[in-house]
Amino acid sequence: MERIQFRLNGKACELEVEKNWTLLHILRDIYHLTGTKCGCATGDCGTCTVVMNGEAVRSCLINFKKLNGSDVLTIEGLSDGERLHPIQQAFVEAGAVQCGFCTPGMIMAAKALLDHNPDPTEEEVRLALEHNLCRCTGYEQIVEAVLLAAERLRGAK
Amino acid sequence: MEKEFRVLGKARPNHDAVLKATGRKIYVDDMYLPGMLYAKVLFSPEAHARIKKIDTSKAEALPGVRAVACYKNVPQVRYNSAVRYIEHEIPDTERIFDDTVRFVGDRVAAVAADTPEIAEAAVKLIEVEYEPLPVLLDVEEAAREDAYPIYEGGNIVGESYVNAGDVEKGFAESDYIFEDRYETQAIHHAAMEPHVAIADWNFEDKLTIYSPCQNTFGFRVILGRIFGLPYSRIRMVAPAIGGGFGGKLEMTVEPVAAVLSKMTRCPVKIRYTRKECMLSTRVRHPSVSYVKTGVMKDGTVKAVEFRMFTNTGAYASSAMNVSGAMSHKVFSMYKIPNMRFCNHPVYTNTAISGAMRGYGSPQAYFGMERQFNKIARALGMDPLEFRMKNLVDPDSCEPVFHNPIGNPRVKECLERAGELIHYEEALAEQEATKNDRLRIGVGVAVGLHGNNCFGAHRDVTTMMLKMNEDGSCILYSGAHDMGNDNVGLQMEMVSEVLGISLDRIDLVQADTDACLWNLGDYASRGTFVEGKATLQAAEEMKKLLQEEASKVLKVPPEEIEFADNAALWSKDPDTRASLAEVMLHCQRDSGRELCCSATYAARRGACSYGAHIAKVQVDMESGAVKLLDYAAVHDVGRVLNPLTLKGQLAGGVHMGLGYAVCEELCYDEKGKPLNLSLKKYHVLRASEMPRLHLDFVGGGEGEPDGPYGAKSMGESPVVLVAPAVVNAIMNAIGYSLNRIPATPERVRAAIAGQKGE
Repeated sequence: MERIQFRLNGKACELEVEKNWTLLHILRDIYHLTGTKCGCATGDCGTCTVVMNGEAVRSCLINFKKLNGSDVLTIEGLSDGERLHPIQQAFVEAGAVQCGFCTPGMIMAAKALLDHNPDPTEEEVRLALEHNLCRCTGYEQIVEAVLLAAERLRGAK
Repeated sequence: MEKEFRVLGKARPNHDAVLKATGRKIYVDDMYLPGMLYAKVLFSPEAHARIKKIDTSKAEALPGVRAVACYKNVPQVRYNSAVRYIEHEIPDTERIFDDTVRFVGDRVAAVAADTPEIAEAAVKLIEVEYEPLPVLLDVEEAAREDAYPIYEGGNIVGESYVNAGDVEKGFAESDYIFEDRYETQAIHHAAMEPHVAIADWNFEDKLTIYSPCQNTFGFRVILGRIFGLPYSRIRMVAPAIGGGFGGKLEMTVEPVAAVLSKMTRCPVKIRYTRKECMLSTRVRHPSVSYVKTGVMKDGTVKAVEFRMFTNTGAYASSAMNVSGAMSHKVFSMYKIPNMRFCNHPVYTNTAISGAMRGYGSPQAYFGMERQFNKIARALGMDPLEFRMKNLVDPDSCEPVFHNPIGNPRVKECLERAGELIHYEEALAEQEATKNDRLRIGVGVAVGLHGNNCFGAHRDVTTMMLKMNEDGSCILYSGAHDMGNDNVGLQMEMVSEVLGISLDRIDLVQADTDACLWNLGDYASRGTFVEGKATLQAAEEMKKLLQEEASKVLKVPPEEIEFADNAALWSKDPDTRASLAEVMLHCQRDSGRELCCSATYAARRGACSYGAHIAKVQVDMESGAVKLLDYAAVHDVGRVLNPLTLKGQLAGGVHMGLGYAVCEELCYDEKGKPLNLSLKKYHVLRASEMPRLHLDFVGGGEGEPDGPYGAKSMGESPVVLVAPAVVNAIMNAIGYSLNRIPATPERVRAAIAGQKGE
C-alpha cells in the first residue's frame, strides 16, 4: 500500500492505494464516481477520459504515482451545482448524446481542448477527440457540440 | 393532409441527454447490490474439442471463491440465444457450459468470488484437458457434404429460399449475363459499453437480472426454458444500454450470472472485458454470395439470382432469423420481375454470428450493388442512371406475393444525394484524375431495411399509460432505449395526443414485471410498431380523460380537446379545466384510476429506403483510400425528430464505413482471433470521417400504417455504405474488388492482379 494525495473535483484527497490501482479504478470503485466509464481498460476507447493537470488523460492508463500530487477533474465536477457546464449544455442541444457511454469522456476531452484552445477549427476538434471512440453518432453532432460550446464560451468571456 | 404537430417534428435531444452528459445515468456496470459477487469466465483456447477432464478443485480452494460452475454442475438444457417469444422454435445448440467447445472463446467454466481479482485468479487455476476435434473455419468447406459434422445432421443449419417470376426465362431473354462472387467479413458491434449483467437469485427463487439487453421479454423466455422458472419468478430489467446494435439482442452473459447467483444465493455481476466481448459475444455473419444478373442492352435488369452462404459460427443463434430476413430484403428495391434468393447458414468453428444492425441486408446488398456498378460500367451507362431506370416506384408491388410496397421514395433519395455531393462535378474529377497516382472515385449504392418482423412472425407491442392525480402521466413501455431515443419519441407522442407537457410525462421502461409485452428492440421497429402502439394507448387515454373532463366541464366528451395540460371545450376554449382538476375529480368523486393499454400488431412490413454516394481518393501505389465526401439521403416517411434522425443516419454511415474499409475480426489457421482490441480492430475515429451530407425524404402522406406516416431509420443506413464506398474505389482504379474490408493491401492486390471492371 502507498499513501498518495491529490485533488479531485476541487477537494483535497488522501488515499491508501494498491500498486496496481489505476485512476479509473480509484474513481469508479473507491469514490463511486461512476460517470467516468470503462469501455476497455487498455486506453483504446477514451470513455474513461478525465482532465488531469489541465490535460485530457485516459484514466485507465494513469497509475497511482502519476496521480500523486495531481489535480483531477471528472464529469461530476464539471457542472456548477444545478447548472450544466456550457460544454454539457451544447452536447445536449446538438444531439451529441445517444447511448451516452462515450459522452462523459468526450466532454472531458472537449474541456481540455477548449481550455487550451478557445477557438479551434473543426479539424482541431476532430484531432482532440482522437482517443475517444463513439459507435453511435459518427461524431458529427459531437463535433458540432464542441464548436457550439467554444463559441458560447468565447462569448461569455 | 399533413397534420400540424405541436410537439413532434421538432429537433429534440434524447430525453435523458442531461443525465448522460452529467455522468448521472446509471448503467448496469455502475450498479452495486449489497453482498454482490463478481464472476469471471474461462474461455476455450481450442476451436473444437471435447473436454476430457476438468479439475476445478484448486479454484474452489482459493479463499474468496464462492462457486465454480462448469458443465458438470449446471443445467444441461440446450437453448437458442435468439429466441424471441414463448413458442419460438429455432435450433437449440447452446448450453451455459457444455462438455464440447466449438470455437476459440467458447465458455468452459466460470467462477463467482468476493472480488473481480479473486475470480480472475481462480479461473486461472481451473485445469482442463481437451481432446481436439476437426476444426472447420471456411464456410464453403463446412457446407460440403463430406465435411466433418460439427452437429449431428451436418453443418447446414437450414435454407432460406424465395422466388419471384421465372429466373431461367429471364436469363434466357437477357442480352448479357454477369456472374460474380462476393465475400464479406465478420465484424464486431463494438458498442462502447461492454457486455455486463447482474443476476440476483434470491431465497424466494425469484431471479432478477439487470442487463443492458435489447429484448427483456425474449430473455425471460430463454431463462424460463433453462431454469424451469415460471415467468412470475423471472424479472428482466434493462436500465440503460450503452450501445447495442444487435450485439445485446441475443443472450450471452446473463445465464452465467444467473447460475452462479443460484449457486451462491448472492447477487452476481459479470462484466466482460473488451477483449472478452470481441472474443465471445456475437459478430456480423460473414458471407459468400454468388450473384448472377441478366440485363438488356438498354440497362433493364431482367433477372437476378443470389446463391449465398452465411457463416453462423459455432452455434445456431440467429442463423435462420437473419437468413430469413435477408431473403426478402432484396426483392423490394428494383423493378426486377424474375428473382431468386437462396441462402444456407452454415456452422463453423468460429465466433457466433448474430444480429447486427442491418440484419443480413449489408451482405446481400454488397453483392447486388457491387455487381450493378460493374454492369452499368460495362454497358457504358452511368451507375446512377442505371439505378434510376430500374428502381421501384411508389404504390407498386413486390414481385413475390405481389403485395403493395407502400410509399418507397428511393428515387427522390438518389436525386437528392446527387445534388448534395455535386455528382456531375465529382464525376468530372474522377475522369480528370483517371491516370493519376491519386485518383478520385465516385460510387453509388441504394438499399433498404425493414420496419418490423411482419411475415417472419408476430410483431406485437403493448403500451400502458397511467394518469397521476396531479394530471401528470407515466408511460409503461416495454421498449429498450437504444440510444436512438425511441422511448423519448414515445413520450413525445403521448404529449402530442394528450396535450400534457413533456416535463409532466415520464416512463418506466424495459422491465418485464412492470411493462406489458413487447417483442424487443430490433428490426428497426421502434417507430413503426412501438410508436404506433404508443399512439393507440394515448388515443385510448384521451377517451378516458374526455369522459372525466366531461363531468367537470359539463359538455359532451367528444367535444373536449386537450392542450397545455388542460381540457378545453372545442366550442369555447374558455370552458376549461386543468388536467390536475380533472384527475382530482376522477380520484375523489368518480373513485377511479385512469390506466389503459393498447396492443398494436403490425399489419404489414414497410421498407425504409436510402441512397448513398461516396467520393473517395485512392492512392494507386499504397492502395490507401481516403474518404472525402459522403452523401446519404433516406426516406423516413415523416420526420418526427430531425435531430435524432440525423444522429442515427450519421452513426449508421460511420458503422458502414468501418465495415467498408477497415473493420474485420481476423483469425489464424487454427481459428484463434488475432485482433481483439479496439486499437487493432480499428473503429473509425473522428478525424477519419469524410464530410457528411445528410438529408431525409419525408412528408406528404408518408408511409401507410406508420405513426403519422413515419418509418424507421436505425438500421437502413448501414446497408448501403460498403457497396457505395467500394464502388467508388472501383470506379477510381478500374479494377474489381469483391471482398471487404477494402484495406490498402486488398486495393493494391486488386490493382496488381485482377481484370477490369
